[in-house]
Amino acid sequence: MFLSIDADRCMGHGRCYSVAEGLLSDDDEGFVAQRGQTIEVPDGLLPDAREAASACPERAISLREASRPLGGAGADA
Amino acid sequence: MSETRQRTGPDDAPGVRTMRGCPVSHTEYGEDSELYGHYALLDAEREAARFHFNDTRPRGFWMLQRYDDVLEGFQNHAVWTTRVRSALNPEPGIALLPQDLNGKEHAKLRRVLNPFFSPAAVRRMEPLAHSRCVELVEEVRPKGGCDFVAEFAIRYPTDLFLSLLGLPVADGEFFLPWSETLFAGFFGGDPKAAAEARRNILEYFDQAVNERRAAPRDPAEDMVTRLVQARIDGEPLSQEDILTICMTLMLAGLDTTRSALGFIFTHLARHEEDRRRIIAEPELAPAAVEEFLRMYPLVIQAGREVQEPQDFHGLPLEKGDVVWLGIASANRDPRKFPDPDRFVLGREGVNQNLAFGAGPHRCLGMHLARLELAVVLREWHARIPDYRIRPGVTLTERGGQLTMPTLPLEWEV
Repeated sequence: MFLSIDADRCMGHGRCYSVAEGLLSDDDEGFVAQRGQTIEVPDGLLPDAREAASACPERAISLREASRPLGGAGADA
Repeated sequence: MSETRQRTGPDDAPGVRTMRGCPVSHTEYGEDSELYGHYALLDAEREAARFHFNDTRPRGFWMLQRYDDVLEGFQNHAVWTTRVRSALNPEPGIALLPQDLNGKEHAKLRRVLNPFFSPAAVRRMEPLAHSRCVELVEEVRPKGGCDFVAEFAIRYPTDLFLSLLGLPVADGEFFLPWSETLFAGFFGGDPKAAAEARRNILEYFDQAVNERRAAPRDPAEDMVTRLVQARIDGEPLSQEDILTICMTLMLAGLDTTRSALGFIFTHLARHEEDRRRIIAEPELAPAAVEEFLRMYPLVIQAGREVQEPQDFHGLPLEKGDVVWLGIASANRDPRKFPDPDRFVLGREGVNQNLAFGAGPHRCLGMHLARLELAVVLREWHARIPDYRIRPGVTLTERGGQLTMPTLPLEWEV
């Protein structure tokens, strides 16, 4: 499973890393440090990834089964 | 829609109450009511129609009420700007920063302020929040009762605000009457007294800023020093802008926190089972805060001004229109939060509530507010676990931006 965080939508609510501490972290401004990235989710952290995605008020976090090239037609958001 | 779009006035053939094809609401949201009166009105209107045009103000406003619409409205920031900040009061008498900025200018100033309001930064204030909270609880506890609003709920955030600015907590004694008088002025209080309070506050901030210019502290830890030393595109912030920022933080942080506490403690006084859980499992405080934020939003709306014509899901908006982003309607929308009147700890999707708004203008102080509220839940219930609302009291709420003028609590000593 891959988790992507849309840098344009993310507004620093901080809900994602507060519910998924093992997967995500915060930067100096309180934004998620993985903003704008796609990361591979270890199997054990799948529930955290789902929690993080459903905690985001901006709907900035998406999950998908396989990684696709960024910027391709399938790129989220 | 193109036909109705031409019209400038209400489509007021007798019996037809529509504006550009949209139902018209005459509901006044600025007046005081019985407790929860505003939520009842908002819930009813949200369920009556997806959008309303409210004609209670000279500049009427277009009400977005459903969760999805309100979120989309906040995210539509490039076209709907904060030239109007409140649909109820579209001509603001007072400058606010960073709110009044939009786009890149707004983002630049937020970047200066964000590091002081991140979860990591506000954790630095946690020890002080605990100790100040305990002091205030211990002050009222032996009395067996108090007006929770005046004797606790407003003093606590005021003291923490002063400390955020690096000012002595003891100054709350004279600062609080000023901020209360100024705030009252926005909601029908004496305008002359409010103007004088505003002058006093600005003078007080001015002195603090000048002191920090003369004797800077560590800009990583001290916000006023950082504001004084910050450069945006190579330029320092003007003294006036720094004072406006201080004023904005005060206006945004004190009344809201006090109000949230009033609604939370009313709920807990009335719902024994919810209070028991918080007493027994204090680690649930942050989850409880989140559900309280969803259930009892105080800032019921944010305003925006439309900068270019746009069809919003069938609502034909024109340049200059005022939009009401219905925060309270969204947080209580059963399409998003089933059974919205129920307090559900750990409710699915609760983190997506819009109490603090969304988009680039989302509340700067959200993490501090969450921390402050969670600390009170823990410390108060560790010391005064059981309390009740004084029998016979009729509880009310202020309109516009909700707050409870008074909440008399009593307990056994």
